[in-house]
Amino acid sequence: MIPPFDYKTPKTLQEASNLLWGYKERAKIIAGGTDLVIALRNEALRPEALIDITHIPELRKIEEQDGVICIGAAVTHSEIFSSSLIHQYGKVLSDAVSEIGSPQIRNIGTIGGNIINASPAGDSIPPLLVLDAMATVVSAEGRKEVPLPHLFESPYQTTLKPYEILVNVQFKKLSPSMKGGFVRLARREGMAIARMSVAIVLELEKREERIEEIRIAIGAVTPTPQRMSEAEGFLKGRLPDEESLRKASTLISEAIIKRSGIRPSTSYKRPVVEALFKRAVKEALVRR
Amino acid sequence: MKIEFTLNGSLTKVDVPFHWTLLRLLREGVGLTGTKEGCGIGECGACTVLLDGMPVNSCLILAPKIEGRSIETVEGLGRRDLLHPLQKSFIEHGAIQCGFCTPGMLMASKALLDRNPQPTRKEIKEAISGNLCRCTGYQQIIEAIEALKK
Repeated sequence: MIPPFDYKTPKTLQEASNLLWGYKERAKIIAGGTDLVIALRNEALRPEALIDITHIPELRKIEEQDGVICIGAAVTHSEIFSSSLIHQYGKVLSDAVSEIGSPQIRNIGTIGGNIINASPAGDSIPPLLVLDAMATVVSAEGRKEVPLPHLFESPYQTTLKPYEILVNVQFKKLSPSMKGGFVRLARREGMAIARMSVAIVLELEKREERIEEIRIAIGAVTPTPQRMSEAEGFLKGRLPDEESLRKASTLISEAIIKRSGIRPSTSYKRPVVEALFKRAVKEALVRR
Repeated sequence: MKIEFTLNGSLTKVDVPFHWTLLRLLREGVGLTGTKEGCGIGECGACTVLLDGMPVNSCLILAPKIEGRSIETVEGLGRRDLLHPLQKSFIEHGAIQCGFCTPGMLMASKALLDRNPQPTRKEIKEAISGNLCRCTGYQQIIEAIEALKK
């Protein structure tokens, strides 16, 4: 049973941050509520007040300005999937959010909520990492921009203070030569939390088609999401052939083990990460 | 908390605690028990209603969120003496056994056909991917929806 609370619907960001400044940890921000309402229902959270940010126009927009795409924190996964702007310039993100939960969840769940929930398996996060996304955080103290990886403290815990609000995520438009790939593994096709996901952005140089740049993030395998920088560095300048991809996968597995330790699932995940990584690269190459 | 919204085409006012979910508001606040609670955590789709035409899990939506918005439930779909074509098709194709998933399935299917009158089988499956059925094995449900392709 959900305990009683107060429900606020600020119409501006200023109003929201002032409210939150007053309540601090006694209030929780609600956007779609697909994670929050469950936590309220099982009393994992008992806030005095909920501050609904879905009436703040700035948080509901998808915009482009000066080559940067900006997605408001209260934009739903369905809206991201239908956005031609994101489809064209950040498809790795649309691909990922299209597999979250179910149509019903995607119609109300938001990208901001997915990020702030900070699940190690949050599907929007690896794509945002390979898009080099920045997060805008606002509070009564001011406005700041933070590289997305800095938002994550530990599983289900962000680095945000109780009076801070995630307002949007932003990333530079992918140029036409940069191709994304996203592959997700779960027990079922729908309504299943990701067991592992691979998000990449890949660019080949023109003459010999060697890898100019590759960005790799693996979801659901580390406590907080991160880029696979050793594998990225290894692959730069190489051809995306079987041998290079296999070696890169080994570097990825090692990075995962370094972070998460050896677990019962490691012997399963090692060959699987290689297979998924190769699939993601293939997907990106096919799109050229 | 007083909430005003459009329910199955009619302007409706209720006064419910603000921590009630839309599901509870519909079943206990308004008395429309067609929408079912299967899991209460947004993982079965039995509670599916349409919010501004979009299928949503009513068990995850808090009452204040529907202020000024439009809700459609299975009660608005058809009546015993005037069934919606989807309801007729479900009956004809044996797509109903215990009936518990059915209201949610109907609302998800209605939303699909409203936006896409000629869905492929893949699109049908995707549209009902948020609705679990323990009885039928889904085949009859898919056929019932497919039969309504224009």
